[in-house]
Amino acid sequence: MSQPATEPRLFASPLARRIAAEKGVDLSAIKGSGPHGRIVKIDIEGAKAGAAPVIAPSKAATQASSGPDAAQMSNALGMTYTEIPNNNIRKIVATRLLEAKQTVPHFYLTIECRIDSLMAARKGINDKANGEYKLSVNDFIIKACANALNTYPAANTSWTEDAILQYEHADISVAVATPNGLITPIVKEAENKGLRQISEEVKDLAGRAREGKLKPEEFQGGTFTVSNLGMFGIKEFGAIINPPQSCILAVGAGEQKPFVDGGEIKIGTFMTCTLSVDHRSVDGAVGAEYLQILKQYIETPVSMLV
Amino acid sequence: MPEQKFDLIVIGGGPGGYVAAIRAAQLGMNTALVESTHLGGICLNWGCIPTKALLRCSEINHLLNNASEFGFTIKEFFFDFKKIIERSRGVAKQLAGGVQHLLKKNKVTVIDGYGKLAGQGKVTVEKDGKTIDTLSAPHIIIATGARARELPGLEADGKLVWSYKEAMVPETMPKSLLVVGSGAIGIEFASFYHNMGAKVTVIEVMDRILPVEDEEISKFAHKQFKKQGLTIHTGAKVTKLEKGKDNVTAHIDIDGKAEKITVDRVIVAVGITGNVEDIGLDKMPKIKVDRGHIIVNEWSQTGESGVYAIGDVAGPPWLAHKASHEGVICVEKIAGKNDIHPLETSNIPGCTYCTPQIASVGLTEKAAIEKGHKVKVGRFPFMANGKAIALGEPEGMVKTVFDAKTGELLGAHMVGAEVTELIQGYGIAKTLETTEIELMHTIFPHPTLSEMMHESVLDAYGRAIHF
Repeated sequence: MSQPATEPRLFASPLARRIAAEKGVDLSAIKGSGPHGRIVKIDIEGAKAGAAPVIAPSKAATQASSGPDAAQMSNALGMTYTEIPNNNIRKIVATRLLEAKQTVPHFYLTIECRIDSLMAARKGINDKANGEYKLSVNDFIIKACANALNTYPAANTSWTEDAILQYEHADISVAVATPNGLITPIVKEAENKGLRQISEEVKDLAGRAREGKLKPEEFQGGTFTVSNLGMFGIKEFGAIINPPQSCILAVGAGEQKPFVDGGEIKIGTFMTCTLSVDHRSVDGAVGAEYLQILKQYIETPVSMLV
Repeated sequence: MPEQKFDLIVIGGGPGGYVAAIRAAQLGMNTALVESTHLGGICLNWGCIPTKALLRCSEINHLLNNASEFGFTIKEFFFDFKKIIERSRGVAKQLAGGVQHLLKKNKVTVIDGYGKLAGQGKVTVEKDGKTIDTLSAPHIIIATGARARELPGLEADGKLVWSYKEAMVPETMPKSLLVVGSGAIGIEFASFYHNMGAKVTVIEVMDRILPVEDEEISKFAHKQFKKQGLTIHTGAKVTKLEKGKDNVTAHIDIDGKAEKITVDRVIVAVGITGNVEDIGLDKMPKIKVDRGHIIVNEWSQTGESGVYAIGDVAGPPWLAHKASHEGVICVEKIAGKNDIHPLETSNIPGCTYCTPQIASVGLTEKAAIEKGHKVKVGRFPFMANGKAIALGEPEGMVKTVFDAKTGELLGAHMVGAEVTELIQGYGIAKTLETTEIELMHTIFPHPTLSEMMHESVLDAYGRAIHF
């Protein structure tokens, strides 16, 4: 089991801290030029002079990483490139995910689910729909995640300094790729919604996300995220937590493969899911138990009717 | 003549040069220091140190004169002016010996002679007009210091018209004195001779005395001096000096009005100018000189690679501690040390040892506002401090200037007893980049004068407890 990381002490002068707070500059991304790397006023002033810090909608902005500056390096080495200006979504994604990777102690749990029953159920339902709607595998996964959170709310949480917040509803953020970048519209209270409703909502939200027409309340919030790259043939991957949520499920492609069942070799369809977990709020065993329950819902979709 | 090779040559053994040489030796450089007159420079021999010895005597005189306030009856006392001067010279001599010992201890090669640049990486040493040595090094630091600036018609003659040097070793105590210039040097001599009983008049061309200090502090000091009996004319200048046999009649223009004053002696303290002549700069055309000072960048580098200038010869503020610190930074930069920053001029404290003392660091209130800061200003009077009253020193104030937005301590300005020993508290605060919060959270011991430093900060935020 991984242990929560303790944050290293950050050395900065009181004045540097004050100015950084006022300007919304994240000190952890700044390289100090004072004694023993202490961050001093001049370093913060330098931060202003450089690339303007990004302001995320909720939290203070983060400076670009302290590694070598790509533009400086490319210019120095005569490498040619095109500058693609960062739009707002790109800046927010950069800030939020940098903050998540730097400040959230991630660990990862991977589980394999057999989805033959799910595929059969999907086919059966879709065949009966007469084209009125068409459920995707992802709709089932959203529903399964929500039901599993409802059954096992310990994974439906956020870390705060004083307390762990355990949410009453499973508001599932669904990662959608848009021409402008990644955005995560939310299916709210998904545990109380049927597959058809979830499917229609996701379709509507994703469509409007691609057109840049989502309202802020449609993508801000959420208690758990599902990111599915299965349609690209990605077998499995680990996602970065979407703060302040504790968990994100990375879903891979379903593929047929042989397996042993009662001493016989059979062929089944399997899908790999990896859960990224914030260890501050969710321990390894808790994450694992959640995945067990999720697997049950995915492998026996009819149980979602209960 | 064999050429001696070094890693670094320092020309001039004042507080800039000898400190640079010691630091270089500590960093493993084979270092030579060339000094023509005396180690310790003006500061130690003809400036900071011997004047402090003199001022100590004037303080004692002042205390003895006011002994009755403290319950003492002293029927009669005398001072021997010659002994006072001797003591001052003795102090300087003792410390110059100390510097010599320190250089030896650090294995700096001290060369007695007059150092001169002689082309790329070369220094010649002259003694009695003859070249006695040729030295070479990849790095050469010019630390030749400065001397009193002379104005036409006001040249010091060493007898009736003195520069700081003659003012320090007079044979007899003048009964009356005219001091031209009210910077730190002028005011210190004015205060010393006044305390010793001379009738002193100060002439200042600017509209206030101590023109580099905060206006409020200048005003406060002016009032105190006047109360003590000094005569001060601001917005005034000396148009002519008429020398008599044992006195001088000065023609003075005070705000356009002509006046005459006859005094025993005149002290001219109208600023200083760098010693840039006859040090071989003609052989180094890339080294530029502007109004008596060598032009350097933030690392004390001149236009000629491998040649540096520190201290007074590299321009104001003309302070020993500025020279020393510049020397250390310059040498550390040469040695390729990490974590070094150029000298932050707003962190250099300045002290004037008159009665009352004056000390400051950073921006004056006016300068801060001119730089675009929105300021919060705190003040605290000596009169409200227990220790000051117990000492019998209730005249003075501590003023602090903060940036209203960031809480940065922009400047601190003090006038009163012992403030020259207090200012480094604010110096540390500024160097560590503290804000008003840390200063407020600092516990100042009671009963001390330093409590006023706390109260002044509190006052800037409307929180002073004892006033």
